[in-house]
Amino acid sequence: MDTTALEGRRFEDVTVGEELPGADYPLTVYRLVMAAGANRDFNSIHHNTEYARKTGAPEMYANTQFLLGAWERCVRDWMGLAGQIRAIRGFRMRSFNVVGDTMRVRGEVKDARIDEEGRGVVEIAIRCENSGGVTVGPGVVEVVLPRRGEEDACEEGA
Amino acid sequence: MSAQASTKNKAAAGPDDWKAEWQPVVDAVGRDFSDGETVWGADAVERGAIRRYLEPLEFDCALHTDPQVARRAGFADVTMPYTGLMSWTLPPMWRPGETLFDSDDRDAQPVRSAINNQDMPIGPKTTGFFGTDIEVDFLRPVVAGERIGRRGRRLVSCVPKETSVGRGAFMTWESEIVTTFGEVVARIRIGTYAYVPKNDVPDNDDRKG
Repeated sequence: MDTTALEGRRFEDVTVGEELPGADYPLTVYRLVMAAGANRDFNSIHHNTEYARKTGAPEMYANTQFLLGAWERCVRDWMGLAGQIRAIRGFRMRSFNVVGDTMRVRGEVKDARIDEEGRGVVEIAIRCENSGGVTVGPGVVEVVLPRRGEEDACEEGA
Repeated sequence: MSAQASTKNKAAAGPDDWKAEWQPVVDAVGRDFSDGETVWGADAVERGAIRRYLEPLEFDCALHTDPQVARRAGFADVTMPYTGLMSWTLPPMWRPGETLFDSDDRDAQPVRSAINNQDMPIGPKTTGFFGTDIEVDFLRPVVAGERIGRRGRRLVSCVPKETSVGRGAFMTWESEIVTTFGEVVARIRIGTYAYVPKNDVPDNDDRKG
């Protein structure tokens, strides 16, 4: 695997504190049903209002897979094809992302460093919000971005 | 404790006595509930399922949709989104010969589902269940054509707690995600909350069989 040939953000392009382009997710019944079918989390709390209310939730709400995917998309939209995700930490549900609201993913660069193996590691602080405030996180997505010059080194070594 | 004894004791129970039902689970912290079995995803990772995963997210990344781009990165085919680990390690909902739906009650649940606390052999019976937190270390992307499974299901914590939705316990589970060749592609910790909803009418079976 060598993603350095692909387009995308390089480690040197990153500034600690910079905000990632956010993404908004209007949560409709339609969307949550699509999500359940696609990610196979068929727990009725995610597609059945009546059932969700019986379990103590105010409404049906987005499932974990969808929310994790929303974090991944936010990071991928920002870093492009060349970056690799190394870890997700602190993905913690604080409140329900209920249908009939818009869930927003927001992130910013928390740290950027060269690790002991010479890789450009970036930590992104990331969270989900809705009209009631933060719903998931804030957590961290740790990514590895190629460093400028790596492409040349790879081509020379090829 | 029998179900009847449990019911009688509830009348004189203190406010935190319900937590005692969780003690066997608390005591089981450290145990691997998988009994060494790897739970394989129902299907290999494949392009169509990846496309469907992306749709509700409006997730536009050519590594997941364009084999040529994926090959430029050295992959044999498109890659699964990193966060698809849980989806692609879920076992099938139904197998030939089985009955999955046995009631026409509007909100009846399937006979069996991997996403609940049904397969927990100890502790109180619960009907509410949701994921609470996740930590994942990704060792490499998974490529279309590979099949992955969840190896190990070690309970690393259990904390009984009453919340706004009911009484239950927060549990954390640790697993490895492996390919059919036994290669570990990720390590995952999943937190869950299994509970009895506040408005749930208790039946006379306090404990799973």
